Amino acid sequence: MARLNFPEEIKSLIDTLKKLPGIGPRGAERIAVWLINQDREFASLLSKVVEDSVQLIGACEICGFFKSHEKGCFSCDDSERDGSVICVVEQPTDVIALEKTGAFKGTYHCLGGKIAPLDNIGPEDLRVSSLISRIEDSDFGEVILGVGSDVEGEATANYLADLIVGKGLKVDITRLAQGLPAGGGLENADELTLYRALDGRRKV
Amino acid sequence: MLTELRISNFRCFESFDCSLESGTTLFVGENAQGKTSILESICVLMRLQSPRSNKVSDQIRFDAEACSIEGILSGKRLLFSAAGPKRRMTVDNESFSKRKDYLAETGLVVWIGNDDIDLVRGSAESRRRYLDFGASQLSAGYLPALRAYTRALRARNFLLKRDANPCWDQIDSYTKLLVQHGTYIAEQRSALISSLVPFAKKLQLDVSGKDELLSLNYVRSGNEDLELAYEEKKEAEAKQRLTLVGPHRDDLELSINSLLASKFASEGQQRTIALSLKIAQSHVLRERKGSNPILLIDDIFGELDSSRRNRLLSSFPEGAQKIITTTSLDWASDGCLEGSRCYSLSKGLLDEM
Ligand SMILES: [Zn+2]
Repeated sequence: MARLNFPEEIKSLIDTLKKLPGIGPRGAERIAVWLINQDREFASLLSKVVEDSVQLIGACEICGFFKSHEKGCFSCDDSERDGSVICVVEQPTDVIALEKTGAFKGTYHCLGGKIAPLDNIGPEDLRVSSLISRIEDSDFGEVILGVGSDVEGEATANYLADLIVGKGLKVDITRLAQGLPAGGGLENADELTLYRALDGRRKV
Repeated sequence: MLTELRISNFRCFESFDCSLESGTTLFVGENAQGKTSILESICVLMRLQSPRSNKVSDQIRFDAEACSIEGILSGKRLLFSAAGPKRRMTVDNESFSKRKDYLAETGLVVWIGNDDIDLVRGSAESRRRYLDFGASQLSAGYLPALRAYTRALRARNFLLKRDANPCWDQIDSYTKLLVQHGTYIAEQRSALISSLVPFAKKLQLDVSGKDELLSLNYVRSGNEDLELAYEEKKEAEAKQRLTLVGPHRDDLELSINSLLASKFASEGQQRTIALSLKIAQSHVLRERKGSNPILLIDDIFGELDSSRRNRLLSSFPEGAQKIITTTSLDWASDGCLEGSRCYSLSKGLLDEM
Protein backbone atom coordinates (compact mmCIF):
# COMPACT_ATOMS: atom_id res chain seq x y z
CA MET A 1 0.00 0.00 0.00
CA ALA A 2 1.44 3.34 -1.01
CA ARG A 3 1.34 6.18 1.45
CA LEU A 4 -1.19 8.77 0.28
CA ASN A 5 0.03 12.24 -0.61
CA PHE A 6 -0.86 15.12 -2.93
CA PRO A 7 -0.79 14.07 -6.61
CA GLU A 8 2.20 15.43 -8.55
CA GLU A 9 0.03 18.03 -10.34
CA ILE A 10 -1.17 19.48 -7.05
CA LYS A 11 2.33 19.36 -5.61
CA SER A 12 3.70 21.53 -8.38
CA LEU A 13 0.71 23.87 -8.00
CA ILE A 14 1.51 24.21 -4.29
CA ASP A 15 5.22 24.73 -5.01
CA THR A 16 4.35 27.48 -7.48
CA LEU A 17 1.89 29.20 -5.14
CA LYS A 18 4.49 29.18 -2.36
CA LYS A 19 6.62 31.54 -4.44
CA LEU A 20 3.98 34.29 -4.22
CA PRO A 21 4.73 37.04 -1.70
CA GLY A 22 3.08 36.50 1.67
CA ILE A 23 2.07 32.90 0.96
CA GLY A 24 3.55 30.20 3.20
CA PRO A 25 3.38 26.38 2.76
CA ARG A 26 0.07 26.11 4.63
CA GLY A 27 -1.53 28.96 2.70
CA ALA A 28 -0.34 27.44 -0.58
CA GLU A 29 -1.97 24.11 0.30
CA ARG A 30 -5.21 25.80 1.26
CA ILE A 31 -5.36 27.80 -1.99
CA ALA A 32 -4.50 24.72 -4.09
CA VAL A 33 -7.27 22.64 -2.50
CA TRP A 34 -9.70 25.52 -2.93
CA LEU A 35 -8.74 25.97 -6.60
CA ILE A 36 -9.34 22.36 -7.60
CA ASN A 37 -12.76 22.52 -6.03
CA GLN A 38 -13.77 25.40 -8.34
CA ASP A 39 -15.27 24.81 -11.79
CA ARG A 40 -13.01 24.62 -14.83
CA GLU A 41 -14.02 28.05 -16.08
CA PHE A 42 -12.49 29.67 -13.03
CA ALA A 43 -9.16 27.94 -13.58
CA SER A 44 -9.15 29.01 -17.22
CA LEU A 45 -10.04 32.57 -16.27
CA LEU A 46 -7.29 32.68 -13.65
CA SER A 47 -4.61 31.40 -15.98
CA LYS A 48 -5.78 33.79 -18.70
CA VAL A 49 -5.70 36.93 -16.51
CA VAL A 50 -2.30 35.97 -15.14
CA GLU A 51 -0.94 35.34 -18.60
CA ASP A 52 -2.48 38.52 -20.05
CA SER A 53 -1.11 40.68 -17.24
CA VAL A 54 2.38 39.32 -17.62
CA GLN A 55 2.34 39.24 -21.44
CA LEU A 56 0.78 42.62 -22.06
CA ILE A 57 1.90 44.72 -19.10
CA GLY A 58 5.35 45.53 -17.79
CA ALA A 59 7.14 48.26 -15.87
CA CYS A 60 7.89 51.42 -17.88
CA GLU A 61 11.68 51.78 -18.34
CA ILE A 62 11.37 55.53 -17.85
CA CYS A 63 8.99 56.07 -14.95
CA GLY A 64 8.51 52.61 -13.43
CA PHE A 65 4.71 52.75 -13.64
CA PHE A 66 2.69 50.11 -15.52
CA LYS A 67 3.13 50.08 -19.25
CA SER A 68 1.18 48.34 -21.99
CA HIS A 69 3.58 46.76 -24.49
CA GLU A 70 1.11 47.70 -27.21
CA LYS A 71 -0.16 51.14 -26.19
CA GLY A 72 2.80 52.45 -24.21
CA CYS A 73 3.12 53.85 -20.68
CA PHE A 74 -0.14 54.90 -19.04
CA SER A 75 1.65 57.77 -17.34
CA CYS A 76 4.49 58.93 -19.65
CA ASP A 77 2.45 58.69 -22.84
CA ASP A 78 -0.50 60.67 -21.49
CA SER A 79 0.04 64.05 -23.19
CA GLU A 80 -2.55 65.74 -20.98
CA ARG A 81 -0.40 65.39 -17.87
CA ASP A 82 1.29 68.54 -16.55
CA GLY A 83 4.92 68.26 -17.63
CA SER A 84 6.15 70.96 -15.27
CA VAL A 85 5.98 68.86 -12.12
CA ILE A 86 7.10 65.33 -11.24
CA CYS A 87 6.19 63.34 -8.17
CA VAL A 88 8.67 60.71 -6.96
CA VAL A 89 7.13 57.74 -5.15
CA GLU A 90 8.24 54.28 -4.06
CA GLN A 91 5.80 52.00 -5.90
CA PRO A 92 3.17 52.10 -8.68
CA THR A 93 0.54 51.48 -5.97
CA ASP A 94 1.47 54.89 -4.50
CA VAL A 95 0.65 56.49 -7.86
CA ILE A 96 -2.82 54.96 -7.75
CA ALA A 97 -3.33 56.21 -4.18
CA LEU A 98 -2.33 59.75 -5.22
CA GLU A 99 -4.50 59.62 -8.35
CA LYS A 100 -7.54 58.84 -6.20
CA THR A 101 -7.20 62.23 -4.52
CA GLY A 102 -7.56 63.94 -7.91
CA ALA A 103 -5.29 66.69 -6.58
CA PHE A 104 -2.27 65.93 -8.75
CA LYS A 105 -2.11 66.31 -12.53
CA GLY A 106 1.64 66.02 -13.08
CA THR A 107 3.93 63.15 -14.02
CA TYR A 108 5.27 60.39 -11.82
CA HIS A 109 8.46 58.51 -11.11
CA CYS A 110 8.38 55.17 -9.25
CA LEU A 111 11.71 54.34 -7.61
CA GLY A 112 10.80 50.70 -7.05
CA GLY A 113 11.40 50.97 -3.28
CA LYS A 114 13.43 53.04 -0.89
CA ILE A 115 17.05 53.13 0.16
CA ALA A 116 17.44 50.76 3.11
CA PRO A 117 21.06 49.86 3.90
CA LEU A 118 20.07 47.38 6.60
CA ASP A 119 18.04 45.47 3.99
CA ASN A 120 20.87 45.80 1.46
CA ILE A 121 18.97 48.16 -0.83
CA GLY A 122 21.12 50.98 -2.16
CA PRO A 123 20.46 53.76 -4.70
CA GLU A 124 21.88 51.52 -7.45
CA ASP A 125 19.03 49.05 -6.85
CA LEU A 126 16.42 51.73 -7.52
CA ARG A 127 15.42 53.95 -10.48
CA VAL A 128 17.58 56.81 -9.23
CA SER A 129 19.85 57.48 -12.20
CA SER A 130 16.87 57.43 -14.58
CA LEU A 131 15.19 60.02 -12.34
CA ILE A 132 18.23 62.29 -12.61
CA SER A 133 18.30 61.86 -16.41
CA ARG A 134 14.62 62.76 -16.60
CA ILE A 135 15.15 65.93 -14.57
CA GLU A 136 18.19 66.84 -16.70
CA ASP A 137 16.32 66.31 -19.96
CA SER A 138 12.97 67.85 -19.05
CA ASP A 139 11.68 71.21 -17.98
CA PHE A 140 10.35 70.33 -14.55
CA GLY A 141 9.85 73.36 -12.34
CA GLU A 142 9.19 71.19 -9.30
CA VAL A 143 10.14 67.75 -8.00
CA ILE A 144 7.84 66.45 -5.28
CA LEU A 145 9.49 63.83 -3.07
CA GLY A 146 6.48 61.65 -2.28
CA VAL A 147 8.31 58.78 -0.58
CA GLY A 148 7.01 57.44 2.75
CA SER A 149 7.52 59.19 6.07
CA ASP A 150 9.30 56.38 7.91
CA VAL A 151 13.04 56.55 8.63
CA GLU A 152 14.10 54.93 5.34
CA GLY A 153 11.64 57.09 3.37
CA GLU A 154 12.96 60.27 4.98
CA ALA A 155 16.56 59.19 4.37
CA THR A 156 15.71 58.45 0.73
CA ALA A 157 14.14 61.91 0.37
CA ASN A 158 17.25 63.50 1.92
CA TYR A 159 19.49 61.52 -0.41
CA LEU A 160 17.56 62.50 -3.53
CA ALA A 161 17.36 66.17 -2.52
CA ASP A 162 21.13 66.29 -1.95
CA LEU A 163 21.76 64.51 -5.22
CA ILE A 164 19.58 66.88 -7.26
CA VAL A 165 21.09 69.96 -5.63
CA GLY A 166 24.60 68.51 -5.96
CA LYS A 167 24.10 68.08 -9.71
CA GLY A 168 23.30 71.77 -9.94
CA LEU A 169 19.83 71.10 -11.35
CA LYS A 170 17.64 74.18 -11.17
CA VAL A 171 14.37 72.83 -9.86
CA ASP A 172 12.21 73.37 -6.76
CA ILE A 173 12.29 70.35 -4.47
CA THR A 174 9.30 69.81 -2.20
CA ARG A 175 8.28 67.16 0.28
CA LEU A 176 4.73 66.03 0.98
CA ALA A 177 3.43 67.80 4.09
CA GLN A 178 3.34 66.08 7.46
CA GLY A 179 0.15 64.41 8.48
CA LEU A 180 1.04 61.24 6.68
CA PRO A 181 0.99 58.38 9.17
CA ALA A 182 4.52 58.23 10.58
CA GLY A 183 6.25 55.02 9.65
CA GLY A 184 3.82 54.29 6.84
CA GLY A 185 3.83 54.36 3.10
CA LEU A 186 1.44 56.33 0.93
CA GLU A 187 -0.76 53.34 0.18
CA ASN A 188 -1.80 53.17 3.84
CA ALA A 189 -2.95 56.80 3.95
CA ASP A 190 -6.56 57.74 3.34
CA GLU A 191 -7.48 60.06 0.46
CA LEU A 192 -8.11 63.14 2.58
CA THR A 193 -4.75 62.81 4.34
CA LEU A 194 -3.01 62.43 1.00
CA TYR A 195 -4.92 65.38 -0.44
CA ARG A 196 -3.82 67.60 2.44
CA ALA A 197 -0.25 66.28 2.24
CA LEU A 198 -0.10 67.25 -1.42
CA ASP A 199 -1.72 70.60 -0.79
CA GLY A 200 0.62 71.57 2.03
CA ARG A 201 3.89 70.30 0.58
CA ARG A 202 6.98 72.18 1.69
CA LYS A 203 10.32 73.09 0.16
CA VAL A 204 13.35 71.10 1.15
CA MET B 1 -5.70 54.54 39.63
CA LEU B 2 -5.23 50.85 38.89
CA THR B 3 -7.89 48.86 40.72
CA GLU B 4 -7.61 45.33 39.35
CA LEU B 5 -4.69 43.33 38.03
CA ARG B 6 -4.86 39.96 36.32
CA ILE B 7 -1.81 38.15 34.98
CA SER B 8 -1.41 34.91 33.11
CA ASN B 9 1.78 33.15 32.06
CA PHE B 10 3.87 36.19 32.84
CA ARG B 11 7.37 35.30 34.13
CA CYS B 12 6.90 32.79 36.98
CA PHE B 13 3.13 33.27 37.32
CA GLU B 14 0.71 30.83 35.78
CA SER B 15 -2.17 33.07 36.69
CA PHE B 16 -3.45 35.28 39.45
CA ASP B 17 -5.69 38.24 39.97
CA CYS B 18 -5.88 40.76 42.74
CA SER B 19 -7.47 44.04 43.73
CA LEU B 20 -5.31 47.06 44.34
CA GLU B 21 -5.89 49.76 46.93
CA SER B 22 -6.15 53.44 45.98
CA GLY B 23 -3.56 54.15 48.67
CA THR B 24 -1.01 51.43 49.27
CA THR B 25 -0.91 47.78 48.26
CA LEU B 26 1.87 45.57 49.60
CA PHE B 27 3.22 42.29 48.28
CA VAL B 28 5.19 40.48 50.97
CA GLY B 29 7.41 37.51 50.22
CA GLU B 30 10.88 36.03 50.33
CA ASN B 31 13.30 36.73 47.51
CA ALA B 32 12.78 34.94 44.18
CA GLN B 33 9.03 34.50 44.73
CA GLY B 34 8.16 36.84 41.88
CA LYS B 35 7.46 40.07 43.74
CA THR B 36 9.34 42.18 41.24
CA SER B 37 7.53 40.47 38.36
CA ILE B 38 4.22 41.82 39.68
CA LEU B 39 5.52 45.38 39.52
CA GLU B 40 7.09 44.64 36.17
CA SER B 41 3.75 43.44 34.78
CA ILE B 42 2.13 46.74 35.79
CA CYS B 43 4.97 48.66 34.15
CA VAL B 44 4.57 46.68 30.93
CA LEU B 45 0.79 47.13 30.94
CA MET B 46 1.06 50.88 31.45
CA ARG B 47 4.23 51.76 29.49
CA LEU B 48 4.89 48.75 27.22
CA GLN B 49 8.37 48.51 28.62
CA SER B 50 10.06 46.83 31.49
CA PRO B 51 12.85 48.10 33.72
CA ARG B 52 14.25 44.56 33.41
CA SER B 53 14.71 42.68 30.15
CA ASN B 54 12.61 43.98 27.30
CA LYS B 55 12.82 40.70 25.46
CA VAL B 56 9.25 39.48 25.21
CA SER B 57 10.44 35.86 25.25
CA ASP B 58 11.84 36.40 28.77
CA GLN B 59 8.48 37.65 29.97
CA ILE B 60 6.47 34.64 28.81
CA ARG B 61 6.33 31.78 31.33
CA PHE B 62 8.75 28.99 30.40
CA ASP B 63 6.31 26.42 28.99
CA ALA B 64 3.61 28.83 27.76
CA GLU B 65 3.17 30.28 24.30
CA ALA B 66 1.63 33.60 25.24
CA CYS B 67 1.33 35.85 28.25
CA SER B 68 -1.26 38.43 29.12
CA ILE B 69 -1.63 41.28 31.58
CA GLU B 70 -4.96 42.91 32.24
CA GLY B 71 -5.86 45.80 34.47
CA ILE B 72 -8.66 48.21 35.26
CA LEU B 73 -7.27 51.73 35.14
CA SER B 74 -9.76 54.38 36.30
CA GLY B 75 -12.60 52.28 34.91
CA LYS B 76 -10.89 51.46 31.59
CA ARG B 77 -9.94 47.86 30.87
CA LEU B 78 -6.36 47.64 29.58
CA LEU B 79 -5.15 44.40 28.10
CA PHE B 80 -1.66 43.56 26.90
CA SER B 81 -0.75 40.20 25.48
CA ALA B 82 2.33 38.82 23.80
CA ALA B 83 2.76 35.66 21.78
CA GLY B 84 6.17 35.09 20.25
CA PRO B 85 7.23 38.47 18.85
CA LYS B 86 3.62 39.59 18.43
CA ARG B 87 2.07 42.05 20.85
CA ARG B 88 -1.56 43.00 21.21
CA MET B 89 -2.84 46.04 23.03
CA THR B 90 -6.46 46.82 23.72
CA VAL B 91 -8.39 49.40 25.73
CA ASP B 92 -12.00 48.48 26.49
CA ASN B 93 -11.76 45.81 23.77
CA GLU B 94 -10.63 48.33 21.15
CA SER B 95 -7.40 47.14 19.59
CA PHE B 96 -4.47 49.53 19.05
CA SER B 97 -1.81 48.83 16.47
CA LYS B 98 0.47 51.76 17.35
CA ARG B 99 2.26 51.91 20.68
CA LYS B 100 1.92 55.67 20.74
CA ASP B 101 -1.89 55.54 20.51
CA TYR B 102 -2.16 52.89 23.22
CA LEU B 103 0.20 54.80 25.52
CA ALA B 104 -1.98 57.89 25.20
CA GLU B 105 -4.78 55.87 26.84
CA THR B 106 -2.78 54.51 29.78
CA GLY B 107 -1.32 56.23 32.81
CA LEU B 108 1.91 57.44 34.30
CA VAL B 109 4.38 55.24 36.14
CA VAL B 110 7.48 55.75 38.24
CA TRP B 111 9.65 52.78 39.18
CA ILE B 112 11.68 52.91 42.37
CA GLY B 113 13.94 49.97 43.09
CA ASN B 114 17.17 48.77 44.62
CA ASP B 115 18.99 48.86 41.30
CA ASP B 116 18.39 52.59 41.07
CA ILE B 117 21.82 53.15 42.57
CA ASP B 118 23.08 52.36 39.05
CA LEU B 119 21.72 55.77 38.12
CA VAL B 120 24.61 57.22 40.07
CA ARG B 121 27.26 54.52 39.87
CA GLY B 122 26.46 52.84 36.57
CA SER B 123 27.09 53.78 32.98
CA ALA B 124 25.57 56.77 31.20
CA GLU B 125 23.18 54.32 29.55
CA SER B 126 21.16 53.92 32.77
CA ARG B 127 20.90 57.70 33.21
CA ARG B 128 19.76 58.13 29.59
CA ARG B 129 17.16 55.44 30.18
CA TYR B 130 15.94 57.32 33.25
CA LEU B 131 15.56 60.52 31.22
CA ASP B 132 13.90 58.68 28.32
CA PHE B 133 11.41 56.96 30.63
CA GLY B 134 10.39 60.32 32.10
CA ALA B 135 10.39 62.32 28.85
CA SER B 136 8.36 59.69 27.00
CA GLN B 137 5.59 60.10 29.58
CA LEU B 138 5.65 63.89 29.25
CA SER B 139 5.51 64.20 25.45
CA ALA B 140 3.70 61.82 23.13
CA GLY B 141 6.21 62.64 20.40
CA TYR B 142 9.23 61.57 22.42
CA LEU B 143 9.08 57.80 21.97
CA PRO B 144 8.49 57.94 18.19
CA ALA B 145 11.41 60.39 17.88
CA LEU B 146 13.64 58.14 19.97
CA ARG B 147 12.72 55.09 17.91
CA ALA B 148 13.31 56.95 14.64
CA TYR B 149 16.64 58.23 15.98
CA THR B 150 17.71 54.74 17.04
CA ARG B 151 16.76 53.27 13.68
CA ALA B 152 18.59 55.99 11.76
CA LEU B 153 21.61 55.53 14.03
CA ARG B 154 21.73 51.80 13.28
CA ALA B 155 21.62 52.44 9.54
CA ARG B 156 24.27 55.16 9.80
CA ASN B 157 26.65 53.00 11.83
CA PHE B 158 26.09 50.17 9.37
CA LEU B 159 27.00 52.45 6.44
CA LEU B 160 30.08 53.78 8.26
CA LYS B 161 31.34 50.22 8.75
CA ARG B 162 30.26 48.69 5.43
CA ASP B 163 32.57 50.15 2.82
CA ALA B 164 36.31 50.65 2.59
CA ASN B 165 35.51 54.21 1.52
CA PRO B 166 32.39 55.28 3.41
CA CYS B 167 29.77 56.64 1.00
CA TRP B 168 29.08 59.97 2.64
CA ASP B 169 26.20 60.85 0.33
CA GLN B 170 24.17 58.03 1.87
CA ILE B 171 25.54 58.55 5.37
CA ASP B 172 24.59 62.23 5.27
CA SER B 173 21.01 61.37 4.39
CA TYR B 174 20.89 59.73 7.81
CA THR B 175 22.89 62.48 9.51
CA LYS B 176 20.05 64.86 8.71
CA LEU B 177 17.62 62.54 10.47
CA LEU B 178 19.88 62.32 13.52
CA VAL B 179 20.05 66.12 13.59
CA GLN B 180 16.28 66.44 13.26
CA HIS B 181 15.25 63.84 15.86
CA GLY B 182 18.35 64.25 18.04
CA THR B 183 17.80 67.98 18.48
CA TYR B 184 14.26 67.33 19.69
CA ILE B 185 15.36 64.52 22.02
CA ALA B 186 18.14 66.60 23.59
CA GLU B 187 15.82 69.59 24.02
CA GLN B 188 13.17 67.46 25.71
CA ARG B 189 15.76 65.91 28.02
CA SER B 190 17.18 69.33 28.97
CA ALA B 191 13.68 70.64 29.66
CA LEU B 192 12.93 67.59 31.79
CA ILE B 193 16.12 68.14 33.79
CA SER B 194 15.21 71.79 34.40
CA SER B 195 11.86 70.64 35.79
CA LEU B 196 13.52 67.95 37.91
CA VAL B 197 16.13 70.22 39.50
CA PRO B 198 14.03 72.07 42.12
CA PHE B 199 12.31 68.85 43.26
CA ALA B 200 15.48 66.76 43.30
CA LYS B 201 17.38 69.43 45.27
CA LYS B 202 14.68 69.67 47.92
CA LEU B 203 14.25 65.89 48.12
CA GLN B 204 17.97 65.38 48.62
CA LEU B 205 17.87 67.77 51.59
CA ASP B 206 14.67 66.24 53.00
CA VAL B 207 15.50 62.55 52.60
CA SER B 208 19.13 62.78 53.68
CA GLY B 209 18.31 65.20 56.49
CA LYS B 210 21.69 66.74 55.77
CA ASP B 211 23.00 69.79 54.01
CA GLU B 212 23.63 68.06 50.69
CA LEU B 213 23.37 70.23 47.61
CA LEU B 214 22.47 68.06 44.61
CA SER B 215 22.97 69.36 41.09
CA LEU B 216 21.93 67.90 37.74
CA ASN B 217 23.58 68.81 34.49
CA TYR B 218 22.90 67.57 30.97
CA VAL B 219 26.26 66.92 29.35
CA ARG B 220 26.26 66.74 25.59
CA SER B 221 28.63 64.55 23.65
CA GLY B 222 29.52 67.43 21.35
CA ASN B 223 28.39 70.76 20.01
CA GLU B 224 24.87 71.72 21.09
CA ASP B 225 24.19 72.54 17.43
CA LEU B 226 23.99 68.96 16.17
CA GLU B 227 24.55 69.91 12.56
CA LEU B 228 27.89 71.45 13.53
CA ALA B 229 28.58 68.59 15.93
CA TYR B 230 28.52 66.05 13.10
CA GLU B 231 30.69 68.24 10.92
CA GLU B 232 33.25 68.55 13.70
CA LYS B 233 33.35 64.77 14.28
CA LYS B 234 33.35 63.76 10.64
CA GLU B 235 37.03 62.92 10.50
CA ALA B 236 36.99 60.97 13.75
CA GLU B 237 33.87 59.10 12.64
CA ALA B 238 35.50 58.15 9.36
CA LYS B 239 38.43 56.79 11.32
CA GLN B 240 36.48 54.97 14.03
CA ARG B 241 33.61 53.91 11.74
CA LEU B 242 31.08 54.87 14.39
CA THR B 243 28.61 57.68 15.12
CA LEU B 244 30.38 59.52 17.91
CA VAL B 245 28.03 62.34 18.79
CA GLY B 246 24.34 62.76 19.56
CA PRO B 247 21.83 62.00 22.33
CA HIS B 248 22.90 58.35 22.37
CA ARG B 249 26.20 59.55 23.83
CA ASP B 250 24.95 62.33 26.10
CA ASP B 251 24.94 61.98 29.87
CA LEU B 252 23.27 63.32 33.00
CA GLU B 253 25.97 64.54 35.37
CA LEU B 254 25.13 64.31 39.07
CA SER B 255 27.07 66.03 41.80
CA ILE B 256 26.80 66.66 45.53
CA ASN B 257 28.26 69.89 46.88
CA SER B 258 29.98 70.35 43.51
CA LEU B 259 31.71 66.95 43.63
CA LEU B 260 30.93 64.25 41.08
CA ALA B 261 28.56 61.84 42.84
CA SER B 262 29.74 58.70 41.04
CA LYS B 263 33.25 59.21 42.38
CA PHE B 264 33.00 61.13 45.60
CA ALA B 265 29.65 60.34 47.22
CA SER B 266 29.29 57.57 49.82
CA GLU B 267 27.05 54.61 49.07
CA GLY B 268 24.37 56.05 51.40
CA GLN B 269 24.52 59.38 49.57
CA GLN B 270 24.34 57.63 46.23
CA ARG B 271 21.22 55.72 47.28
CA THR B 272 19.61 58.94 48.44
CA ILE B 273 20.45 60.66 45.14
CA ALA B 274 18.85 57.80 43.20
CA LEU B 275 15.72 58.03 45.38
CA SER B 276 15.60 61.81 44.99
CA LEU B 277 15.79 61.49 41.21
CA LYS B 278 12.98 58.94 41.08
CA ILE B 279 10.68 60.79 43.46
CA ALA B 280 11.44 64.05 41.66
CA GLN B 281 10.28 62.32 38.47
CA SER B 282 6.93 61.55 40.09
CA HIS B 283 6.49 65.19 41.15
CA VAL B 284 7.37 66.47 37.67
CA LEU B 285 4.88 64.08 36.07
CA ARG B 286 2.19 65.23 38.48
CA GLU B 287 3.01 68.90 37.90
CA ARG B 288 3.19 68.71 34.12
CA LYS B 289 0.45 66.14 33.42
CA GLY B 290 -1.96 67.11 36.18
CA SER B 291 -2.33 63.58 37.51
CA ASN B 292 -0.36 61.34 39.84
CA PRO B 293 1.82 58.55 38.53
CA ILE B 294 1.49 55.07 40.01
CA LEU B 295 4.54 54.43 42.15
CA LEU B 296 6.01 50.94 41.77
CA ILE B 297 8.35 50.52 44.71
CA ASP B 298 10.51 47.41 44.66
CA ASP B 299 11.97 46.25 47.95
CA ILE B 300 13.64 49.40 49.19
CA PHE B 301 12.12 49.84 52.65
CA GLY B 302 13.83 46.97 54.47
CA GLU B 303 17.17 48.76 54.35
CA LEU B 304 16.12 52.15 55.62
CA ASP B 305 15.96 53.18 59.26
CA SER B 306 12.58 54.38 60.48
CA SER B 307 13.28 58.11 60.36
CA ARG B 308 14.60 57.99 56.78
CA ARG B 309 11.74 55.72 55.80
CA ASN B 310 9.13 58.07 57.17
CA ARG B 311 10.78 61.06 55.54
CA LEU B 312 10.68 59.09 52.32
CA LEU B 313 7.01 58.10 52.65
CA SER B 314 6.04 61.71 53.24
CA SER B 315 8.03 62.89 50.23
CA PHE B 316 5.86 61.07 47.66
CA PRO B 317 3.27 63.14 45.79
CA GLU B 318 0.16 63.39 47.92
CA GLY B 319 -2.51 60.86 47.07
CA ALA B 320 -0.36 58.85 44.67
CA GLN B 321 -1.15 55.14 44.42
CA LYS B 322 1.71 53.06 45.77
CA ILE B 323 2.40 49.42 45.02
CA ILE B 324 5.17 48.12 47.21
CA THR B 325 7.08 44.86 47.47
CA THR B 326 8.95 43.89 50.62
CA THR B 327 10.50 40.80 52.19
CA SER B 328 8.97 41.47 55.59
CA LEU B 329 6.56 43.81 57.31
CA ASP B 330 8.73 44.32 60.40
CA TRP B 331 9.54 47.85 59.37
CA ALA B 332 5.86 48.78 59.21
CA SER B 333 5.12 47.98 62.86
CA ASP B 334 4.73 51.65 63.72
CA GLY B 335 1.48 51.85 61.74
CA CYS B 336 2.88 53.90 58.88
CA LEU B 337 0.93 51.72 56.43
CA GLU B 338 -2.50 51.93 57.99
CA GLY B 339 -5.35 51.35 55.57
CA SER B 340 -3.24 49.47 53.07
CA ARG B 341 -3.95 46.09 51.55
CA CYS B 342 -1.46 43.27 52.01
CA TYR B 343 -0.79 40.14 49.99
CA SER B 344 1.65 37.40 50.83
CA LEU B 345 3.43 35.72 48.00
CA SER B 346 4.98 32.28 47.99
CA LYS B 347 5.86 29.98 45.09
CA GLY B 348 3.85 32.04 42.64
CA LEU B 349 0.71 31.91 44.81
CA LEU B 350 -0.98 34.95 46.24
CA ASP B 351 -2.87 35.22 49.54
CA GLU B 352 -4.53 38.23 51.06
CA MET B 353 -3.19 38.84 54.57
ZN1 LIG C 1 6.37 55.71 -17.96
